[in-house]
Amino acid sequence: MSKQVKAKKKRLTFGQFLANNSVPIMFILFCAVCIPISGFSPSYLLNEIVTRMGRNTFLILCLLIPIMAGMGLNFGMTLGAMAGEIALIFVSDWQIWGIPGVVLAMILSIPISILLGAFCGGMLNRARGREMITSYIISFFINGVYQLVVLYMMGSIIPIKHSEIKLPRGYGIRNTVSLLNMRQCIDNLLAINVNGVKIPVLTFILIALLCLFIVWFRKTKLGQDMRAVGQDMEVARDAGIKVERTRIISIIMSTVFAGFGMILYLQNMGNLSTYSSHSQIGMFCIAALLVGGASVDRASIGNVFVGVTLFHLMFIVAPAAGAKITGDSMIGEYFRVFISYGVITVALIMYETKKRRNKSMAGQELAAAQKEEAQ
Amino acid sequence: MKKRTLFFRIGAIVILLAIAAVMMVIGRGHTVYFDNKKLEYNGETYDTPYKVCVYVNDERVAKLYDKERGMATWIGQNFEMTLEITQEKGGDETTETYQITLPYNMDGIVINLPGFLAGLDQDAYITEFVPVATEETTTEEEELPGDEFGIDIDGDI
Repeated sequence: MSKQVKAKKKRLTFGQFLANNSVPIMFILFCAVCIPISGFSPSYLLNEIVTRMGRNTFLILCLLIPIMAGMGLNFGMTLGAMAGEIALIFVSDWQIWGIPGVVLAMILSIPISILLGAFCGGMLNRARGREMITSYIISFFINGVYQLVVLYMMGSIIPIKHSEIKLPRGYGIRNTVSLLNMRQCIDNLLAINVNGVKIPVLTFILIALLCLFIVWFRKTKLGQDMRAVGQDMEVARDAGIKVERTRIISIIMSTVFAGFGMILYLQNMGNLSTYSSHSQIGMFCIAALLVGGASVDRASIGNVFVGVTLFHLMFIVAPAAGAKITGDSMIGEYFRVFISYGVITVALIMYETKKRRNKSMAGQELAAAQKEEAQ
Repeated sequence: MKKRTLFFRIGAIVILLAIAAVMMVIGRGHTVYFDNKKLEYNGETYDTPYKVCVYVNDERVAKLYDKERGMATWIGQNFEMTLEITQEKGGDETTETYQITLPYNMDGIVINLPGFLAGLDQDAYITEFVPVATEETTTEEEELPGDEFGIDIDGDI
């Protein structure tokens, strides 16, 4: 009897494992099929993955803190990305190059990120239970403000000296700002080459530091408060935790790290697309995190690394595989775009379904208990 | 707010401002141009060497004959270059390393090599490089951002 129960338990655990990791497993299978078709060599794929991991991981890690505080996937990370871009425009105009330029941009982005994060956190407190859609719409709203500042105020009210950055009309910033003088300055410092694969050691050190910070932060008083708020706001409030303040802090932290992440991302790219660099960044980071097996209410550092690897592996191989299969590389291009949005949709549906199922199970248990009591 | 917390916060802001100030100084980028052109200064003429090779960060950035210009980028104010000078055709090369303190407020700096080698004042051999905006760049129409509804920045659909 006990053996049967054990076997059932084992089966359930395996089933649960499959259910919990359905998205990464699907992506592993997809990549396993596409890699041989694409014809890319392992060293090329490894090089690309390492580059993209260095470029994106910091940005994705910034999503973990709001999830910890029960605020779901922070689409408002775009706000931090915009703060980082504004800082980079200033640094570029002041001609501060190389690593000092990156450090200065990070410092400059902090007050802007704090301001935007505090605003976003305040708004999300007013829209409790609908944080994700609210943060998504706030990012559109702030994008409008960003365009107003960058397109009309910079060069007219905010001094911008260099004509290479300004639009020909004398104010506003050009569509593209060159970051050539700080291109890959972080990636190249301490970089090592292993069998043709360039490993940006300093970038990985920064990522490791953020991971360590997150691990340490979880154990602090504020981190514990955030987890408590994430589990149950009312219980946390009864325990004396300032729920609203804790939630705002989590969004501010996420926004500040998103600003840093965007600066690291753009120094790797070497140029800043002023009006569009930030627009899709939130979507792709969230998609990558979900591909790694995270959900709206649960995410870990492991999910970030699995996600960034699988998601970008798909990004690399899908167009080539699509071109080989159909003769048209655009098929792969479409595929990777709809997969990104599809993964987010599926994750949101799964989260809601699970929440409702749990709610209905709790209701049924309560009804059964009441029935028992009545008898 | 507790006094201790306030103290730490102000301390953090001061440290960040100090780091930012240091970064602004050590990270200031300059484009340095080397002119191997005859210089006339205070009624005297300083002639060009036959050939000058300019090395910056152990990399040759220019090989200049008479009336030629080279260029390098540099971060910070203490510019260091090594010049490999051949005074006359077929003559011996002399190599020497020089240091110049670059002016902070100039983006593009032109160094006149004959003036510099003659040991003149910095004002004599350093001039600011001011790029001339070409017709193309001043009339260039940039495509400004629109939105998903096809409304561009001027409000036209």
